[in-house]
Amino acid sequence: MSPERSTLLLADDDPTIADSLAPFLERAGFHVLVVSDGLSALEKAQAHHPQLIILDVLMPRMDGREVLRRLRRSHIWTPTILLTQVGEASERALALEEGADDYLNKPFDPHELLARIRAVLRRARPGERSLSAAWLLTATDLSLDRRARRATLDGETIDLTPKALAVLEYLMTHPDEAITRERLLEAVWGWEYPAGTRTVDTRMAELRRALDDDPAKPRFIETISGEGYRFIAHVEAEG
Amino acid sequence: MQKKRWINLFLLSLPLWVGLLSGILAQSFLQPELPVLFQTDLGIAAFVFGGVVRQWALFAFALGFLVSLVLVFLYYWDIRSVRQAKILIMESLREGEQSRRSFLRRLDHEIKNPLMGLRAALVNLQESQAADERQHAVENAGRAVARLSRLLADLRKLSDLGERPIERARVDVPDLLQDAVDAAHVLPAYDGREVSLLIPRVPSPFPSVTGDRDLLVLAVYNLIENALKFTSAEDSVEVRASEDGQAMVIEVADSGVGIPEEDVPKIFEELYRGSNTLSTEGSGLGLALVKRIIALHDGKVHVRSSQAEPRGTVFTIRLPVTKRG
Repeated sequence: MSPERSTLLLADDDPTIADSLAPFLERAGFHVLVVSDGLSALEKAQAHHPQLIILDVLMPRMDGREVLRRLRRSHIWTPTILLTQVGEASERALALEEGADDYLNKPFDPHELLARIRAVLRRARPGERSLSAAWLLTATDLSLDRRARRATLDGETIDLTPKALAVLEYLMTHPDEAITRERLLEAVWGWEYPAGTRTVDTRMAELRRALDDDPAKPRFIETISGEGYRFIAHVEAEG
Repeated sequence: MQKKRWINLFLLSLPLWVGLLSGILAQSFLQPELPVLFQTDLGIAAFVFGGVVRQWALFAFALGFLVSLVLVFLYYWDIRSVRQAKILIMESLREGEQSRRSFLRRLDHEIKNPLMGLRAALVNLQESQAADERQHAVENAGRAVARLSRLLADLRKLSDLGERPIERARVDVPDLLQDAVDAAHVLPAYDGREVSLLIPRVPSPFPSVTGDRDLLVLAVYNLIENALKFTSAEDSVEVRASEDGQAMVIEVADSGVGIPEEDVPKIFEELYRGSNTLSTEGSGLGLALVKRIIALHDGKVHVRSSQAEPRGTVFTIRLPVTKRG
């Protein structure tokens, strides 16, 4: 099924947002179901089996995070993008812990949402648990324990700063996907930074050193000239 | 309240009354020449002294008077301290309330201008048929949205800074200053300008600081942006670093018109705009962010500025130097 015919469930309690985003997504070729509270989102997700869910976090009757938790508890692995309203670091961390496939801070450019929807749909494995919901990720001899916040290479723990570990986590949960520096900044740092490009490159250099990954002949992280980075090793989910 | 105070005063003066009563009783009912002995056993030493009833009566009265005097003094001292503490608390609450109100007033001002621009652009879009006018309205709306987004992003940074722990890693200062200067190249105010970066060659290697590199770059960048915005193309902007064994000193200096004296104490306040900055682009949170970031690194930031010759402004950041080892 091509993404253009996919059904999306959009849950946001703010009518000005839902009323503007729904026609935009319809124009982009999706069929959009709109709900304005968490409980309705849960019911619609269970009844209509959309290909992707876009969930706001702060909603009446049940917040987006609880909706996601209940879906995952019922083994419904529909790809989900969480829209965080507050944009706090803790909220972003929780979004990852609860298995959101991606997340986007308000206010965002609707085109950015569209790009995320397409990327998530592209890597979705229908009915299967996504990498974002797994606690342990492995790629050849590299493994990342997301709960313990520890990465090991060939069984040896590698020394990484929290930011470098978060970069590795984002790359491993989005393998084989071109990830721009701007997106990494938003996902890992949460803010726009003036020296954004260099900020990301500095962390990437730290990560590569720790992984003993040669940028000229990469085993894990490939540089896409003028764009960003791509995690090229095959990632398996465990736990 | 008043009644309680009288009761307290009566209780405090009890030693006086007891002393007075003892004196009167001794004078009235005991024989005047009867000797009275006091004996106090302190283990090894024993003190014995004697006197006559009249002396004892005087002694009891004087002792009661003195004890009461001391107690009343302590009582009033205590009341005074409590009153002073209350005044300080009230002043701090009043200041907090004033600062909250002025923040809301400034926020209202910062939001209403771009919102007004957005409303006007929407009206133009609705009513105009000419393609160029509609295009112009779209561009204006985009600018208003960008301004609101910047304000929101800076507000989020300020609120995030209080909530999340900062990274504590060794930070190379010349490298971080170079990053901040490089990042400033994209600013429209940088066009045709030069920012000089002055790093001493001694000591070598230059001492480092401990902290969150990204946040420190942001702090220095904000100061450079500030310097570029409030100076003209003829003015100089310098970023320099030095260390005095105790602290790393980072300065961002410019030869611009300077900050009016009355604005200097307030420029680090959230959303404060000085009298000569009202029409300048910016969220009004840049310097507040600098102050918060530096405080999180156990450092200090201050400004000195002169509008008279030699004019200019110098922002100084002092950060603890990382101990070697």
